Amino acid sequence: MNKAYQLQDIDRSNKPYIIYKSRKGFDLYTDFSKKIILNNRNVFGFLNKKIPTKRFKETDLFIGFFGYELLNNLIGVKIPKQRNINFSKGIFYKPEKKISLNNKLIYTPKKRISFKKKFKININRQSYKKIFDKFKKKIKSGETYQIKICTKYKMKSKVDSLDLFCRLSRANLAPEAFMVKDKDYSIISCSPENLITKTGTIITTKPIAGTVKKSRFMTKKKALKYFRNNLKETKEHNMIVDMERSDMSRICRAGSVRLSKKKVVEEYKDLFHYVSLIKGQLKRNLKNIDIIKAMMPGGSVIGCPKISTLNLLNNQERENRNIYTGSFGYIKFNGDLKFNIIIRSILNFKNTSEISVASGVVVDSNSRHEFNENYLKAKALIDLFK
Amino acid sequence: MIYVIDHNDSFTHNVVHQFSLFDKVECDNYNNINRLKLKQAKVIIFSPGPGNPKNYPSTSEIYYQNKGKKKMIGICLGFQQILFCEGAKIVEQNKIYHGYQSRVKVIDKSSIFKKNKIFKVGRYHSLKLKEPFKVNDFVITMRCLDSKVAMAFENNKDKIYGFQFHPESFLTNNGHLLIKKILSS
Repeated sequence: MNKAYQLQDIDRSNKPYIIYKSRKGFDLYTDFSKKIILNNRNVFGFLNKKIPTKRFKETDLFIGFFGYELLNNLIGVKIPKQRNINFSKGIFYKPEKKISLNNKLIYTPKKRISFKKKFKININRQSYKKIFDKFKKKIKSGETYQIKICTKYKMKSKVDSLDLFCRLSRANLAPEAFMVKDKDYSIISCSPENLITKTGTIITTKPIAGTVKKSRFMTKKKALKYFRNNLKETKEHNMIVDMERSDMSRICRAGSVRLSKKKVVEEYKDLFHYVSLIKGQLKRNLKNIDIIKAMMPGGSVIGCPKISTLNLLNNQERENRNIYTGSFGYIKFNGDLKFNIIIRSILNFKNTSEISVASGVVVDSNSRHEFNENYLKAKALIDLFK
Repeated sequence: MIYVIDHNDSFTHNVVHQFSLFDKVECDNYNNINRLKLKQAKVIIFSPGPGNPKNYPSTSEIYYQNKGKKKMIGICLGFQQILFCEGAKIVEQNKIYHGYQSRVKVIDKSSIFKKNKIFKVGRYHSLKLKEPFKVNDFVITMRCLDSKVAMAFENNKDKIYGFQFHPESFLTNNGHLLIKKILSS
């Protein structure tokens, strides 16, 4: 197989495959020997499984995603009846082949698809303001300290998923980017946020709160100054750090949870992110399910405190979130884990493309500003459909 | 053993880890209390949490049953819970502090902390103690430097203490020291 065309060849072979950002480029997983479709019952068995770890190969892993509803169910939070497109609650694959790709993904689509329709939003400005004001009251009465309102954009369309993913990665090479392509659906994401990296007994999480676009005037130094002077971003960030410390403390040895990077700026191709890195040493005899339950759904995209905020959100939202704010990643047979938070993503299912975005309500945020921020976040993805 | 009563908060396990530096800690949810652990505990901690003290009647009951018998410490909601049990009104604030670092000052009545000492602390509270508040044996010992809101109380007779701020937050400097002093008082 010619290396330059291998991505194209795999895509045209119609085999399901997954691409996940690695440190140096991308890893492509394919030749799946198993596909596990998760539901609210079998997920416990899946996560409790003990896997023999002798002679470990680099394809000895399950790779896939947990949807939002499944993660709520795992921690005992109920979701009322919602509008639902009946997309899977979670799917994991066992690959038999792994290919390393570099950062420049080469793919030329057979023909360019033209998109005639436009994305439609599920909550208009007025209803958004209503929800916003309601949640602001809940903050005043102390039921939540920070809550993220989700809006959804949908469009009927046929897509060339790999083309979308390649173009997205060219525009924004995100550290947790991934793509899943199966026969009946695809997911494309430029997620920037790592939720769990477990290597041996060490676990880290890297919450992001605060993003600013790079420009000639916005240098790394200026970005740090901008974040530090922005009281709203600072407070949101502080809250997330304390919440993630607490989530990690559930599963880590007492005194081992440390803030190893405290509110620093990380530079990506087009953006600066305001991040912290929290590290801990895991307790003995934990199962994967204990780790997943402690950390998911990732707090930075939900709000704080987690349980009461999830309940407020679930009672408000009329539509299933599907993959949005779930987690994608892998479970290696040697026990190592890597999971991100599914944001900045497109779900293509039943000839419909769906993009969800959210931004935070804290006590001093403003409804118009947050509504527009949601749109800006979605726009980067919507613009791919041109 | 220290028994932490969790009110479904996302900061509770920071509290657990902080107290673990000093003694064995057990932690259970407020609606899943283990009576045996409660009996064996030397110290009871009321965790932070969302909402209002009036939403947690079972925690109030634990407070009444153990007042004068065990050392009890309340943090954030826990602080409000204890004061609420003592008849205080807990009210909304105009300016809300979530994820905020403020300076608090020890006012002259503390028997544990040095007078006029200033601490930098992390805050996550929508509600506050309505003042004036006067109940026998309870004294307000710390206040926010700017807003003057009550930030800590002591009842040295019954060994009951509370912080409105979060000693376990990464925003609080010397949080461990505060806890150590309260535990050894």
